[in-house]
Amino acid sequence: MTAALHIEDLTIRTGDRVLVSGFSAAVGRGAPLTLLGESGSGKSLVAQAIMGTLPPGVAAQGRILLDGTDLLRLGPAARRALWGRRIGLLPQEPWTALDPTMRAEGQLAEVHRYVHGRRDAGRAAAAGLGEVGLADAARHYPFQMSGGMCQRLALAVAHAAGTPLLLADEPSKGLDGALRADLVARLRREVEAGRLLLTITHDVGLARALGGTACVMLDGRAVESGPTARLLDAPAHAYTRALIAADPAAWPARPPGEPGPPVIAGTGLSKAFGRRRLFADLTVEIRAGEILALAGPSGSGKTTLGNILVGTERPDRGAVRRAPGAAPVRFQKLYQDPPAAFVPHQTMGQALDHLARRHALDPARIAHLLARLKLPANLRKQRPGELSGGELQRFALARVLLLDPVFLFADEATSRLDPLNQREVAEILREASARDGLAVLFVTHDADLAGKIADRSIALR
Amino acid sequence: MMLQMQGLAGPDRPAATAWPLSRRIGLGLLALLAAFALLGPLLVDADPARQDLSASLAPIGSDFLLGADHYGRSLLARLAHGARLSFGMALLTMLSAAVPGLLLGVLAAWRGGVAERALVALSDIVLALPGLLLVLILLAFAPGHFLPLYLGLSLALWVEFFRVARTTTARLLVEPRIEAARLLGFGTPYILRHQVLPEIAPLLLTLAAFAMGTAILAISTLSAISVGLQPPTPELGSMIVELLPYYAEAPLAVLMPGLLIFLLVLGLQLTARGGTVR
Amino acid sequence: MTRLLLGRLIQAVLVALVVGGLCFALVRVLPGDAAFRIAADRYGPDALTGQAAEAVRRELGLDRPWPELLLRWFGDLAQGRLGNSLVSGEPVSEELAGQLGPSLWLAACALALSLLIGLPLGLASGLRAGSGLDRLALVGAVALRALPPFVLGLVLMLVFSIRLEWLPPAGYGTWREMALPSLTLALGLAAVSSRVARDAVAEVGATAYYRFARLKGLPAGAVVLRHGLRNAGIPVVTYLGLQAVYLIEGVVVVESLFAYPGIGHALVHAVIARDVPMVQGAALVMGLMFVLLNLGVDLLCRLLDPRLGAAR
Repeated sequence: MTAALHIEDLTIRTGDRVLVSGFSAAVGRGAPLTLLGESGSGKSLVAQAIMGTLPPGVAAQGRILLDGTDLLRLGPAARRALWGRRIGLLPQEPWTALDPTMRAEGQLAEVHRYVHGRRDAGRAAAAGLGEVGLADAARHYPFQMSGGMCQRLALAVAHAAGTPLLLADEPSKGLDGALRADLVARLRREVEAGRLLLTITHDVGLARALGGTACVMLDGRAVESGPTARLLDAPAHAYTRALIAADPAAWPARPPGEPGPPVIAGTGLSKAFGRRRLFADLTVEIRAGEILALAGPSGSGKTTLGNILVGTERPDRGAVRRAPGAAPVRFQKLYQDPPAAFVPHQTMGQALDHLARRHALDPARIAHLLARLKLPANLRKQRPGELSGGELQRFALARVLLLDPVFLFADEATSRLDPLNQREVAEILREASARDGLAVLFVTHDADLAGKIADRSIALR
Repeated sequence: MMLQMQGLAGPDRPAATAWPLSRRIGLGLLALLAAFALLGPLLVDADPARQDLSASLAPIGSDFLLGADHYGRSLLARLAHGARLSFGMALLTMLSAAVPGLLLGVLAAWRGGVAERALVALSDIVLALPGLLLVLILLAFAPGHFLPLYLGLSLALWVEFFRVARTTTARLLVEPRIEAARLLGFGTPYILRHQVLPEIAPLLLTLAAFAMGTAILAISTLSAISVGLQPPTPELGSMIVELLPYYAEAPLAVLMPGLLIFLLVLGLQLTARGGTVR
Repeated sequence: MTRLLLGRLIQAVLVALVVGGLCFALVRVLPGDAAFRIAADRYGPDALTGQAAEAVRRELGLDRPWPELLLRWFGDLAQGRLGNSLVSGEPVSEELAGQLGPSLWLAACALALSLLIGLPLGLASGLRAGSGLDRLALVGAVALRALPPFVLGLVLMLVFSIRLEWLPPAGYGTWREMALPSLTLALGLAAVSSRVARDAVAEVGATAYYRFARLKGLPAGAVVLRHGLRNAGIPVVTYLGLQAVYLIEGVVVVESLFAYPGIGHALVHAVIARDVPMVQGAALVMGLMFVLLNLGVDLLCRLLDPRLGAAR
């Protein structure tokens, strides 16, 4: 195997802070490299150093050799000249990386016309779109295309560039199972065509599917690397093991329990927005100690159904029946975007104090619960903006659990968290359900997660 | 290229502050002008109406610190009174626009339904016509008088307060944090006091400063085209037009009221720039 | 599309109702016996007779109960009958027809000039946000916005007409008379539009799609032309809608200042003379011009942003 991209002793720093230190890796033809790590691990900085897009004030040292040329020795103009010709990019969340005011064909054709100087750019673009199954969408704007279609358009653009090196930036972010499989197949085809592929992701499943070699990053260092299959089957480093264990596919299955009496039940629920019908005549029941996963594509009404059950929206038809004797505050909700559920100018301590005063809660109990959720007392002085998503979501859980809930609607409550935090929040939910008989409606678009966390699942279309 | 930057963007970005440099300069400028308007007449003979034809167009530094106009009236006194008049009218207009605008805006967003639709229709009616045209028609009822000017400006300006208060409140009401507060058992007074008001309050200074700037511009402009306040009221806009024929003899006397308007509005706009407006 | 047109149609009706209603109220509250006062204005105090006043009373319908009068007032308005000027006695519509052309010219020249000044400046500042040029443009814009248009106009007049004697201070006819009024308006407009354009360009430059366009390997010029201008143009054009207020108000002020024979000038004169039919006619035309400007901006936005057309 002759490696064509060599990264040797790459160190990235800003001022005197070292962000990435002594990083070395290689990508060969037919052997894609995957950088695995959470946000803040430095994997994105490595990609930016290769691309030449490090933010101002951030400098890279070491060597990045692409077919023998050291990229770090090149001037800015020379590096820009590599874009689209030697190095291509598959952007993350392509629906934001496509020009919202340009049709699909234009965004592809311009690569042929302006980068390759082809006169028949229109025809080449039409062929490229056909190849990814977007022939019918040539005249569409990005807002008229689904996430999967945007992803395929971005792939067509990357393919049209035909660069020897392709960087894929979190390519599976926001994609569900079937779309991810399609993505993997297309990326593998690029590898088979002889292109160098470097992928950065926190998605262990994606790394496994891509094969080649993998490198796990933590705090700016490579903690472990090797052939992907071997690395993932026999991890040597504790962090690698934690990362693999955090992948929902690797979670232990939930032991079957004996659900209690029904806590909440909706019968004959219907809801429509204007002329668009979300669901009709739907019946759902959740019992004490039971976790029900609710899956379905975006826009299918998952959140609306949950809101109807928790009581913040009304159904057009149908009724919700709650367990008798449970106070309204014992029906609670967890939000997808943790910062949005907190008042930005209130410290966490103030928020908890107000809640304690409102419901006459015992301070010792609050302290105990915070400790159980691994929330140190010094966080009480912080405002929501100063906490990580994982910490905030655990605070939100603490806030909710203090009110002894019987029912909790978790609305994609782990989708914006890193894998380790996702695992932790899911654990707390499972524990509360098993120990206190909490009934949970868990909305998610991740089939693996739904399968592992819930006792049963239903899907909306 | 959306390569993640979370680790970097946080500490490097300066924290947004309610007191940026422009706002501090603006407030400082306003403080100086207020001192001039309040203290100026105390330093010299304070009657802006007393005429002394022998001192017609007296230059700066003579008996009159800032010179005299064509009737020999002290320009310092007239400028100070003009600044007081502009600022006072702007303040009054702003308050008459802000209080109902804010209350109705929060009410409309909170209650929704018929009340909101009626208020929005009312604001649409006011907005259908540029504000100055509305004030002009009202001025036809009593040209040169204070009341139509005040009513017209307040009527034109309350809409902005109403719209901002309404959209801000409406945006807040759909935020998960308000829904979460309700689910956690908090009532409306708590939510208004701890969640809605703290978010509207910072916008208020911006809007108020802008409204006052607009009012000062409108008053001086209308007076300059002879439909606003009339001479001998020491109004800055009409002073400029009154003195214009004497530009060749006393150019500074013409330019000073203009400079004063400029500084007043500049101070207000710099104060407003702390907010979201360009 | 129909919804857009309908919205502007409603605005036009609102303009007519507000202007018409206020002018009707104006006739009712004119002090003293309105008919006598108006007749005196019209025919001179010497020719004033009870008969003349009676004619005026009948012409303005001052002898009927007011709800009926209001309905008739709006009825006349709906049929485009604006009445005769109380000052000149000429039909208001004829006077307005003569003044419309100059006003439209002034508005068009000012708008075009403001875009010629504001857009290149905004583009240059936005592409180099934070540079010396950007800061200078910011200071200029802040200063211009704090200056009332009539003071700006006076300063231009003092410099170009009185001091340098390059351009006439008043009148209408050739580009020389047009230059100062339109420059006054254009500078005020450009002070805002240059900053809006600058922010829009800087904002688009920071988007994921703009960076992706660069990373695709497109030449710098193609990136700006294909992905920058159109996307940055959307907020600029949207903001033009807000600037329509400034433009219409500015036309009124600047016409009065430069004794320019347009509708704004006529409106101010009519207000001073309390020539109600003329006030109504002039305000109505200015208001409808405002509605049309807004409609133009709506349509342009639709053209630039494909998302608007398909939003519903």
